[in-house]
Amino acid sequence: MVEAEPTTPRRAWTIVGEWELRDLWLGGRGLLLTLAFSVLVSVLTYLTATNRALNFLEQRESVNLTLQVAIAVGALLALVAAADTVSGERERGTLESLLLAPIPRLQLTLGKLGGALSLWLAAFAVTIPYVWFLGRGVGIVGDALVAGALVGTLLAVFLASLGMLVSVFAASNRVSLSLSLFLLLALFAPTQFPTGAQQGWLGELLLRANPLTAGEHYVGKIVVDRHTWSQDASWLASPIVAAALFAVLAAVAGARFMHLSRGSSR
Amino acid sequence: MKRLRSPVVATIAALALASAGSANAGSNSLAVSVDRTGISTALGGKFVFRSTIANRSTTPVRGLIAHLNVLSLRNGVYVDPEDWSPHRTRYLAPIPAGGSVALTWTLQAVNAGSFAVYVAVLPQSGAARPPITGPSVYVSIARRKTLDAGGALPLVLGIPALLGALSLGVRARRRAARSQADAG
Repeated sequence: MVEAEPTTPRRAWTIVGEWELRDLWLGGRGLLLTLAFSVLVSVLTYLTATNRALNFLEQRESVNLTLQVAIAVGALLALVAAADTVSGERERGTLESLLLAPIPRLQLTLGKLGGALSLWLAAFAVTIPYVWFLGRGVGIVGDALVAGALVGTLLAVFLASLGMLVSVFAASNRVSLSLSLFLLLALFAPTQFPTGAQQGWLGELLLRANPLTAGEHYVGKIVVDRHTWSQDASWLASPIVAAALFAVLAAVAGARFMHLSRGSSR
Repeated sequence: MKRLRSPVVATIAALALASAGSANAGSNSLAVSVDRTGISTALGGKFVFRSTIANRSTTPVRGLIAHLNVLSLRNGVYVDPEDWSPHRTRYLAPIPAGGSVALTWTLQAVNAGSFAVYVAVLPQSGAARPPITGPSVYVSIARRKTLDAGGALPLVLGIPALLGALSLGVRARRRAARSQADAG
């Protein structure tokens, strides 16, 4: 007699995550977005390598420029994918079958969030060879990649959660995407402030409080200024808080407010 | 009368200089020195030197400004000093009699070639007298091509091509699966 081996049941969120990954990557959308991302990073890398005005700068600054754009755009991809998760399913008429599945909504939310974050992971994987090319020979590739992975993941979790939060409550997919992109632009606005406005206690407070500017500042300090990991660790406070807070908010909103249509009770 | 004029003028001038000494820089009493006279670096590199402004007089001096200047020693090289150092002007605290102030200047090598860097000290009052300058620091900057544009091509073309091929492959596979399902 053969005894049946006890099997551990798979957590529901991993099953939902697998569905999401299949839909995103085998459906082709994820690959197309990653292709567009790679074209952008390629153009940036080529300009950095050929343009004399950029080339006179230290290699560290070239790596920093490419890494910061990769983090920003990679996190944007996660935001766009997350902003489509609930409102998109609702519009395509596929949310009903998903809600009828015997899966707790919290797990459903986590699985969808995981799927959206896969875009950031793919974007980061694509960025690795570019960072290696720009930073080779000066011993910064390792530090740059670790800093990029750390900050990029925090920002991607924050933005994907924000996108999902908007998607749960948005009346339509268009509203969800527009609002998410508007919020992202608002978060990026401080990077366009004149240098004078970024100085002083108010300017620094604004930069520190904004997870995007704080995260990018930290990467710059590690990659360009060769600071130690702990020297500017306080700049990571807002990315960490934003990632944790918005992940919890998205999970709670998904668990409690993910309805078939906006306005219906269930 | 002629004999008297010179000592009187000299005395008045000395008194005037003495009274001005506490408020402004006395030209002869100040000296600017640097910690090195030559620096070699590569394009894009950062370098630092220190200058010391000494007050050799018996009265304190106040209201001084130290200014950093950069120029190319070869004709035809455009130099924008702001690119080399964004903080080139320092407003100095009063320097006591016999005391000195040390300033650290950080610069980035923006152009390749031979350059001179020097510090000039002048009074905040705007008095029309020549600034006091320190010895110039000779800066030799080697050309450095940090990145190879040709080497970038396989990478910048290869990765999008790979992803494009992968994308087309997935699309073809999806179409084949769909047509198989339709036929079935």
